[in-house]
Amino acid sequence: MSKTPLLEIEDLCARVEDKEIIKGFNLTINEGEVHALMGPNGAGKSTLSNVLCGKKGYEVTGGSVRFKGKDLLSMSPEDRAREGIFLSMQYPVEIPGVPTSTFLKHAVNAIRKYHNLPELDTMEFLKMVREEGRKLGVDSEMIKRPLNVGFSGGEKKRLEILQMSILKPSFAIMDEVDSGLDIDALKVVSEGVNALRDGKFSMLVITHYQRLLNYVVPDFVHVYADGHIVKSGNKDLALELEEKGYAEFVKEK
Amino acid sequence: MSSLLQKIPLIGKEIPWLNDVRQKGAEAFAKTGVPTAKTEAWKYTKPRELCGDDFVIKQSKKDSDWKADLPFEAYQIRFENGYFCPQESTLPQGVEVVPLIEAMLFHPEVWKHLCKMADINKYPFAALNQSYLNEGVYIRIEKNVELKKPLVIISHTTPGEENLFFNLHNLIVLEENAAATLVEYHTWSGEVKSRYFANLVNEIYLSAGAHLEHIKVQAEAFKANHVALSVVAANKDSEYKSFCLQRGANIGRNETLVKLQESGACAEVNAAYIMNGWATLDTTTDIEHLSAQTTSHQLVKGVIGGDAKGVFQGKIHIAPNAVKTEGNQLHKALLLSNTAEVDVKPELEIFADDVKCSHGAASGELDEDQLFYMRSRGIGLEEARQILIDAYLEDVIGKIKHEGIRNWVEKEAK
Ligand SMILES: Nc1ncnc2c1ncn2[C@@H]1O[C@H](COP(=O)(O)OP(=O)(O)OP(=O)(O)O)[C@@H](O)[C@H]1O
Ligand SMILES: [Mg+2]
Repeated sequence: MSKTPLLEIEDLCARVEDKEIIKGFNLTINEGEVHALMGPNGAGKSTLSNVLCGKKGYEVTGGSVRFKGKDLLSMSPEDRAREGIFLSMQYPVEIPGVPTSTFLKHAVNAIRKYHNLPELDTMEFLKMVREEGRKLGVDSEMIKRPLNVGFSGGEKKRLEILQMSILKPSFAIMDEVDSGLDIDALKVVSEGVNALRDGKFSMLVITHYQRLLNYVVPDFVHVYADGHIVKSGNKDLALELEEKGYAEFVKEK
Repeated sequence: MSSLLQKIPLIGKEIPWLNDVRQKGAEAFAKTGVPTAKTEAWKYTKPRELCGDDFVIKQSKKDSDWKADLPFEAYQIRFENGYFCPQESTLPQGVEVVPLIEAMLFHPEVWKHLCKMADINKYPFAALNQSYLNEGVYIRIEKNVELKKPLVIISHTTPGEENLFFNLHNLIVLEENAAATLVEYHTWSGEVKSRYFANLVNEIYLSAGAHLEHIKVQAEAFKANHVALSVVAANKDSEYKSFCLQRGANIGRNETLVKLQESGACAEVNAAYIMNGWATLDTTTDIEHLSAQTTSHQLVKGVIGGDAKGVFQGKIHIAPNAVKTEGNQLHKALLLSNTAEVDVKPELEIFADDVKCSHGAASGELDEDQLFYMRSRGIGLEEARQILIDAYLEDVIGKIKHEGIRNWVEKEAK
């Protein structure tokens, strides 16, 4: 079976405030694949997510990233999202004064407009949110509240996945989607994530724990340390890491 | 002498006492002239533009077929280029709306309040306005009458080749326990060719137990000059609740002087301003607590972009006998560019004990993380900024009680 590359990262180097964080990162993710990225705190996993999504303040100093064959790094953050990239953030941002549903409607319609689809009216939109919300345990009271304001850690993560299931990206980065989730919520969220797996949808799952990977089973596991991937393997690598930690990958300081 | 003082034939010029009122205004203005940077009350907003010698007072009215499209039911009063245009709306019982000149000549009771509420030696533009006392409207709401639909005063300008200059002077009297909603809408249409000057004064008298919600939208053409003073006298247990949105004009000043002169009187003076380009928009308030147990609240929020400048001068004065009063004031500004500027001057003058007073000011920028979060969901930068700006203004616009007007103001603020 020939594979179609979705995301191709080549020799990516990036820095934040004069500090080199990503140093020659290489990774290709094909359609339908799930890759897990693990690594010690401060290794640069969230930095990689932010660079891929175009956040300000991160300077790319070398390398290239192609998404569906297009040069990703020259696109605005909104165009990356419209092209099908979704970032479930480690720390979702609170936006007081903006009802969650208002925000979601803007997002859905911005993406639909980009693809020349008619905008959803309020009724259609609410119906969709209600349906997807039910699966993830996000009730309609929650989406009336200002975006993420006062949401518990777990509620925020559930809302991230709700957004993902509504926006239907072709590639998602999940930055510690499991942090803050209780055992039952982890199951619910994982089911939500797995529901999107249609053979084409791909993911980069960033996590510190093997447990998530029991539910969202990765095709590949990579160890990220010192700015690049130091080891790759299959799902068993995650089990090995759980036992041994990162000691052998982290340089003596 | 300033070119703003011109000799034009006003109606009633042959009546000595009326001439006298106008003459007093002219003299007071001649003494001060257009305020300069040395005038304390005008040190941040410099009306240099108004020193030009090319302002023209049109002496005939020209009707236009322009119509205001307001999304709520209302009684409309309209001025075109500063001239009253009779409207065909039937007013309910207990409300009187009379062109000012008619009121001055045939309703002697207006002279109890007219040109009595502000000291023209302190307000140069009110003095100038008085020198032309002619156009405007007298509104009287009878005792115990509660007006269901809002009254809207529209001032619509069609900027021509010349720099129009006009003055409007309104007197609004609410008798005991009357209640009403008053909207002022300052707008324009056509081409922006000139930098017209609208100079406005409202005198508002609230009798005991009266309630007035006063909403103003200043949406003048971007080269226009708009200077407005509203003076409010609030008597026992009356309530003045106002909101002013400024989003037009090159120089826009909305000044409010509230005299809480009897116990139980309260005032809420809220405002928002949104600006770009080189505009200066000024919100100046002076709340005088002259009696015990009076309260005031002010929330003013600005969104400033481009090279624009926002000005807020807010004074709370508490007279020696005004015990058990409460006065709060908060100004916040959102700066959208590095060249945007805001000048804030809060002033508390407290001569009484046992009062609760507070003031605060804050300014900030759009939050980059919030912008990124929205953009990472496909929302374009401009749309994301607008969502945050709307959210920023939501609480202050949300203070408008009348739902239809609130929704209209929300749209006007975009
Ligand atoms: N805006 C910033 N300014 C300065 N340093 C930054 C900034 N963003 C990230 N860093 C630094 O870059 C390094 C990588 O951070 P990053 O958040 O990418 O790590 P991570 O691998 O996601 O860690 P964790 O597992 O704890 O989430 C850290 O040393 C961090 O302090
Ligand atoms: Mg991280």
